[in-house]
Amino acid sequence: MGRRADIIVGLGGATPALRRYARALCAGAGPAIADDLVQSALQSIGARIRSRELRPVDLAEARIETYATLVALAEKKLGNAPGPAARHPPIVHGLAGLAFDERAVLLLVSLEGFGYDAAARIVGASRETALAQLMRARMALGAEGLRPVAPLEGGRRAASHLRVVK
Amino acid sequence: MTPSALIEEADLHALVDGELDPERRRKVEDHLLQHPEDAALVEGWRRQNAALRAAFEPVALEPPPLSLREAAARPPAPPVGQGPIETGAIHWGRPGAAPRPMRKLDEIRASRRRQALASTLLTLVAGAAVAVAALLFLASRPPTQSPTLTRAATSYAARAGLTYATYILDAHPVEIDAARRDELLVWLQERVGFARAPDLDGVGLRLLGGRIAPGVAAPAAFLIYQRDDGVRLGLYFERAEAVAAPSGQRGQGVTVIEWRASGFAFVLVGALPADAMQAAAEAAAAAVLAPPTETK
Repeated sequence: MGRRADIIVGLGGATPALRRYARALCAGAGPAIADDLVQSALQSIGARIRSRELRPVDLAEARIETYATLVALAEKKLGNAPGPAARHPPIVHGLAGLAFDERAVLLLVSLEGFGYDAAARIVGASRETALAQLMRARMALGAEGLRPVAPLEGGRRAASHLRVVK
Repeated sequence: MTPSALIEEADLHALVDGELDPERRRKVEDHLLQHPEDAALVEGWRRQNAALRAAFEPVALEPPPLSLREAAARPPAPPVGQGPIETGAIHWGRPGAAPRPMRKLDEIRASRRRQALASTLLTLVAGAAVAVAALLFLASRPPTQSPTLTRAATSYAARAGLTYATYILDAHPVEIDAARRDELLVWLQERVGFARAPDLDGVGLRLLGGRIAPGVAAPAAFLIYQRDDGVRLGLYFERAEAVAAPSGQRGQGVTVIEWRASGFAFVLVGALPADAMQAAAEAAAAAVLAPPTETK
């Protein structure tokens, strides 16, 4: 009981990384869609752990399952989602041009730092398939976004986090 | 067949992704020395990774919205379209399961309204009692016993103010000047764990140099910038996991702007006008989030 509760609470710590992944996976479709996906994934995993349908041995496994749920939800939801706007940097347009599976694997490995085995498990493919998707994604992305870009909404975000103390 | 010929494209990706054992990694790196076209591919993929992190890492640094806090601990919302049957709609039930008569539904609704009203009143009374208890508790506490979190939130600013007051007008304000910038960055990386000296030329501030200063619970960096008219300001940063410490003093007429990024607390201290300080802080905040231009 305690371990399940600890894992559910611990998943809260994965929320920032899940938001980062969801935002990139949505490739300019909008922060609201990305946050909805994260919320649905976390609530679904929490419910499955509480009902003992899912019995992760530790937080790392629960985290992988949460990413897998997020990817599955995103695949359904992003079908009719809008593409990136002109204001988005080239890397976002490059991501939007990739097939969903290729984008999912590329971001798991390159952005989230998952190993090949974990990334394959998250997207429900074999290691070889995931590696092939990664290779195709990197080739297709090519030179898109290779120039350094300003962080998304970087200026506004930086300013909003500044706090005048005195 | 040479060992280089055995290197496949998958090995190049695995090198970028840290998936090689040390021996294989050495072989692939040897291969890259002899095959610059493959080395360019690897470099390109590393730059792709850097571009992705630069674009999306700020999302992970934002505080999550309320809807996502403790989301895993909340049950999922019920699917739309499965509302209770007492909504007034005709219920075409299973054969044998006769729909409840409307009179019964009215009674149920009235009963639920009474329960909801009672529950609301009970909640209001309980809330008021808790508020009164909290006010009495807080009023009984001496002002020096402020919560630890509050002290922690301001202690970096206080320490930055103290460092500013100590060094800003000193005849020897920096230990390493801007001419030895690379040496300064190596020193900051070793002692503070974060090596970035933001370029603030765009807002008219030239880097004079920097030093290591005592932080709240760890060594802190203190960079000094100077405007053409000689006015100086300081950029202080320290790893943000540090715990709270007693507050320091701050000089009169000094503006202090604090923010958090990349696991560090940054504080900009100076006696410039408020908008100039804000512009400098925004430039510095953007610079510390930008991909590093310095080589390690």
